[in-house]
Amino acid sequence: MPIVMAPVNRELKIVKIIADDKVKKHLENLGVTVNGEITVLSSSGGTVVCKIKDGRIAFDGNLSTKIFVA
Amino acid sequence: MKRFALAGNPNCGKTTLFNSLTGSTAHVGNWPGVTVDKRDGVYKKLDEPVAIVDLPGIYSLSPYTPEEVIARNYILDEKPDCVINIVDATNLERNLYLSTQIMEIDVPMVIALNMMDAVEKAGDKIDEKELEKRLGVPVVKISALKETGLKELMERAFTESKKSRAGVTVLNDTALAHLIGDVKIALKGQNVENPLFHAIKLVENDSIEVEMHKETENMIDEFKKTFKDDVFGDDFEALIADRRYKYIAKNFDSVVSRKNKEKHAMTKSDKADRVLTHRIWGIPIFLLVLFGIFHLTFSEDLLFLGKIFSFPGLEDLGVDIEAFGGQLLACFYDGAVFSPGVIVNNLWNNIIVNYGLGFGEGGWLYNLIAESGMQSWAIGLINDGILAGLGSVLSFLPPILVLFLFFSILEDSGYMARIAFILDRAFRKFGLSGRAFMPMIMGFGCSVPAMINTRTLADEKERTATIRVIPFFSCGAKLPILTAIAGAIIAYFGVGNADLITYSMYLLGVVTAILTVLLMRNTTLKGETPPFIMELPAYHLPQFKNLMAHLWDKTKHFIKKAFTIILASTIVIWLLTHFSFSWQFLEEEEVNQSILAQLSMFVQPIFTPLGFGSQLGQFGWVFVVAAVAGLIAKENVIATFATLAACLVAVAHLDIGTLDIAAEEGVDAVQAMILATNITIPALISFIAFNMTTIPCFAAVGTAKAELQGGKRYGGTLIFWLATSYIVSCMVFTVGSWWWTAFIWAAAIAVVVTAIVVKNKKQNKAKA
Repeated sequence: MPIVMAPVNRELKIVKIIADDKVKKHLENLGVTVNGEITVLSSSGGTVVCKIKDGRIAFDGNLSTKIFVA
Repeated sequence: MKRFALAGNPNCGKTTLFNSLTGSTAHVGNWPGVTVDKRDGVYKKLDEPVAIVDLPGIYSLSPYTPEEVIARNYILDEKPDCVINIVDATNLERNLYLSTQIMEIDVPMVIALNMMDAVEKAGDKIDEKELEKRLGVPVVKISALKETGLKELMERAFTESKKSRAGVTVLNDTALAHLIGDVKIALKGQNVENPLFHAIKLVENDSIEVEMHKETENMIDEFKKTFKDDVFGDDFEALIADRRYKYIAKNFDSVVSRKNKEKHAMTKSDKADRVLTHRIWGIPIFLLVLFGIFHLTFSEDLLFLGKIFSFPGLEDLGVDIEAFGGQLLACFYDGAVFSPGVIVNNLWNNIIVNYGLGFGEGGWLYNLIAESGMQSWAIGLINDGILAGLGSVLSFLPPILVLFLFFSILEDSGYMARIAFILDRAFRKFGLSGRAFMPMIMGFGCSVPAMINTRTLADEKERTATIRVIPFFSCGAKLPILTAIAGAIIAYFGVGNADLITYSMYLLGVVTAILTVLLMRNTTLKGETPPFIMELPAYHLPQFKNLMAHLWDKTKHFIKKAFTIILASTIVIWLLTHFSFSWQFLEEEEVNQSILAQLSMFVQPIFTPLGFGSQLGQFGWVFVVAAVAGLIAKENVIATFATLAACLVAVAHLDIGTLDIAAEEGVDAVQAMILATNITIPALISFIAFNMTTIPCFAAVGTAKAELQGGKRYGGTLIFWLATSYIVSCMVFTVGSWWWTAFIWAAAIAVVVTAIVVKNKKQNKAKA
């Protein structure tokens, strides 16, 4: 499911990222990689704050529909 | 001299370390991307001095934003003697991702494990000896903030810099190792430096790299055909990123021992974010904070206590306000408790500038010059030109610093990054990402660093649009114009409220910015808004040392400007107002024949639709002069007021009563000008609006030129500023004078909007 719909405070695994190369690369650099772990800290009206490794990263509503987790 | 480069993730403390090492006071903030250009300094505590280069923060060596390119190119092309890779120990895994890439370059490196104090405070431990063994490069624990471990770090870096180090990779056990090896050999054959690094970037399909080595493309494509990974297919870039993180997790997890085994423990920051980034409350809280800042800086009635309890004024209490003690008391209280900003302002102006420096009329320096027996024109030049101009500029130091202090606190605490996040949704509607908020808010301080900071924006068109609207976020130098004119409106016409006028003018600037961005993003600068991806740093208490460093920097900059460009322009303006075209020295009464008056009268009609043109009559040109002087530096506007008001009083035979033209803040000078020209309130507001939205100042124009790389975009920017300021002030003036003109404006705007919408629809159709 897209991360925007994911439950809060549960450890999830990223299965797919749909974004252009540049954005995808930037996400990878930030630790957002397929197979990587991700935890949603808060999710409101599309925007999502996630915990990735030990950092907190915010995504806008559009991007949060393109990161799929399981 | 040996050169050490500081490299690391954004917001990992590079600049703090740089400041600690070199004794500089470079700007540090608690959000990613404060440093956008490299910066040099010298470390002197080793046997020989060492040059330290602070690089912009990077997440990896495959750049995403322009400032990341700077860091990458520095390491590759300038070949520092040692790279000090700063690693945020509170987020080890993510930070080591960059380390694994720097390790691939043939350059000596040392890892500085920063923020160890925060790790230890949380009760966690990191075994740095084990980490060093596994990484194969020296690791030193430091705290850049507390300045611990710095000496050891520099000594080890110095030792390393004498050796050479060949690049190593963590990708040796992966399926791509073979391909990387082949490409490396091919590159080596061409005598490419750092073959391993370039080979890996080529396999990653890094765009900069592929441009440079087109010939390897075939080799990689051939390999791609034979390769298949279950998860990643032939997306090598994702595969490599994944393998790096896997390697890091496998090898370095064990060096960290956490006190709190619970993986989802909420940190204090997370709890604070629950409230501060709340979907509904986030924006109201932010607006409240912003209003609080303006209230604490400008209000003459702290928390509206005076209104609520109706305190008696000082004179009612029987205090002699002429005496020094009474004046001192009046700095803090007069019928209402003043806000801290106003108190500081009063203390500085009434006590220091007046008594201490003696700049104003009746001050010791002023009297000394007046009675010195010099030629009368020399006395005039010094007292009415230089001292009046400098005095009025200096009088604005306090509000600028107080406002700046509050913004520094917001930035240092980490709240600024949250504001960007909560505003992103709103910004998106105007075609910008929340990231653009940071340079914009920096614009409230000064447009120059704000424009440079737009380098954190990934999209070129978004960047151009942001640079163009930054001046609308009224900078510190424009504040004096606001306070002087707002003060004069209240004093002369007896209407309004100072912090309300100031607040609404700031708001006008912001609204103008929003509307023009919307316009540009739908016409000349069309494009998709880049996605918002941002790290939210942990909140921390603002560092006193840091705040003071910011303030000191700002003060230095301001004083330097006051005594150079502004001093020079006040002298020039004085000379131009006291000489005619035939180079005849003019008495004050003859100011209308001066070069400046003649020139300004010539262009005056242009400003008639704005309310400060021909309708002001004989002396209306003073506003034109002030506005034009403001194109050089906005501080000039008030300095010019002070100089010109003195001439006006003499020539127009004004009965100015108790007004003191040379008084600080220019309030009285503006009142004298109102008397002389009969300018209306809407025209005065329009004058503020013009100054706020027109070409900012020489320094900002120069910066915009450099950041936009000259050319068409830069020329367009200048025209954009002139057109916007003209239209906005014209609108302010006409609607303020004749309310029904609002309908005409509304109709005109509706026509423009419809035209754009229709045109865009057509274009979209044509594309489809």
